Amino acid sequence: MNINSRNRNVFIFLSLVVPIVLFLLFVVYPSLDLFRMSFVNWDGVSKDQKFIGLDNYKTMIFDSPDLWKSLCNTAIYFFIHLLFIPIELFVAVLLDSKIKGAKIFKSISFMPYIINGVAISYAFSYLYSPYGGALNEILESIHLEGAIQNWLSDPKVVNLSLASVSLWRYCGLHIILFLAGLQSIPEDIIEAATIDGANFMNKFRFITIPSMTLVIDFVLFANVRGAMQMFDIPFVITGGGPGYASSTFTLYSLKTAFNFNNFGMASTIGVAVFIIIIVVALIQNKIVKMARGKNA
Amino acid sequence: MSQVIVTKYKKKIHINFKKVASRFSIYLLFICITCIVFLPIMITVVASVKTAAQLGSTSPLAFPSLNEVTLENYKTIFSSGKLFTAVKNSVFLVVISVVFNAIIGSTTAYVLERFQFKLKALIYGMFLLGMLLPAYITEIARFQVMSKLKMYNTLGAPILIYIATDLMQLYIYRQFVQKIPIALDESAMIDGAGHFTIFWRIIFPNLLPATATLAIIKSVDILNDMYIPYLYMPSSELRTLTTMLMDFSSSLTGSWQMLSAAIVIVMIPTILLFIFFQRYIFAGIVAGSVKE
Repeated sequence: MNINSRNRNVFIFLSLVVPIVLFLLFVVYPSLDLFRMSFVNWDGVSKDQKFIGLDNYKTMIFDSPDLWKSLCNTAIYFFIHLLFIPIELFVAVLLDSKIKGAKIFKSISFMPYIINGVAISYAFSYLYSPYGGALNEILESIHLEGAIQNWLSDPKVVNLSLASVSLWRYCGLHIILFLAGLQSIPEDIIEAATIDGANFMNKFRFITIPSMTLVIDFVLFANVRGAMQMFDIPFVITGGGPGYASSTFTLYSLKTAFNFNNFGMASTIGVAVFIIIIVVALIQNKIVKMARGKNA
Repeated sequence: MSQVIVTKYKKKIHINFKKVASRFSIYLLFICITCIVFLPIMITVVASVKTAAQLGSTSPLAFPSLNEVTLENYKTIFSSGKLFTAVKNSVFLVVISVVFNAIIGSTTAYVLERFQFKLKALIYGMFLLGMLLPAYITEIARFQVMSKLKMYNTLGAPILIYIATDLMQLYIYRQFVQKIPIALDESAMIDGAGHFTIFWRIIFPNLLPATATLAIIKSVDILNDMYIPYLYMPSSELRTLTTMLMDFSSSLTGSWQMLSAAIVIVMIPTILLFIFFQRYIFAGIVAGSVKE
């Protein structure tokens, strides 16, 4: 090997060794360990971890009503966000137009995403608070007392209250991603279509949407992943309560690990999170492909 | 539908009502969005400059007049001493993480992009898969690794996690490296420069926009991060801005006006970053999310 070759290999090695070691140590190993721990019973402290096979999985599926409640609550976030995706796309289309001030509104739409999640969660806590909370006060002052609810303590309402916080935070992100997708469509194609006599709906259906497949796929995937991992908002505002009325899947898993000291079961739930994300993402993919097939 | 108006100077002006109506409704929508975005923020800001009595007696949206505005809440938060520790820790986490991420991310992206070698596909695939992993859940297992490394309750734990995970910067750097012409590398090599020199003198300076994007995005992510400091740094000496706020929340229950002041203080850093560095934030979010 000549010096250049040696120099090259040394450079490659030195550049990659640190990120790879860190990655193996803090990402790969914990993931594999998580999978392994789903088959044991461990409290996080004692020396041995008892291998119990599929017991955790059986308990998780058949004997965890609180976990299933958490899953239902998580689904609420998923479906509410899903409902808003077309609206977000619509707003992005509006922002893409050459209207004056579109840039400012673009910034305003995105701002909620970069605001500190915990800070804004507490702000919403104040909004929703039963004791002198801002929302109830405002409703009173405009004579809508009938709309006053126990936003955070009524199990029928609490998930919607929290999902609204999630909408507030994340719609802006989706809008910006859609906007980026829209702005990447070459002008000439749209102009050619206009010249050929296409109206707005036609252009939208046959040019815009197909060009945005990448972005739309990503937003749909991010929705599943985000919903399954929903943690900050319920953790800070209600802690999952009352009881488990507002608990989410990830919140329940982390509680199982760090509050109930049941790392085995928590790992099993973790594996379930991963599987659910992949399964739902694949189903979404299939549905979108079928819808596209109809259009083409 | 348009109407022709004849002006004093006998010019004909066409007003397209449909266009005006749609413009109007678009602006109406934008104003609604603005109100929704600012509602919780304004309510918090307003509450932070009121006394408890004012809070109870006035509407949450009513900003107190200039001589009724009180800065007592802010004074209490500032004098509690916790803010300085939190800012110190948060800034430390941000600076160290950004520096290491910039060095490691850029070299890794450069090597993966410019060189061919065995295992390259494997390494790249490994990093790709890593981005799919659910964030919070892996802490269940990562926690054990940190404990064994004796990093629990140190500033090292979050830093290691911030450097090792979230490899979104690989995509940002990779895109920028692709834009640098290989001719640059080659002419430097002909001049006798070694690989390290090529990278530091030529490549890295050309990656400055990517580094800036990375710095801003990472700063926002780390300043807003809650769970990792919460889980790995329970000591009161190691509070970050976010975990400090959580402390305040439990000690100030019922005192919304003081908590609001703390909320505003914690919100300000990332809002400022956003106002001044919007361009980078948008670029980074889009580049990191929509992978080719």
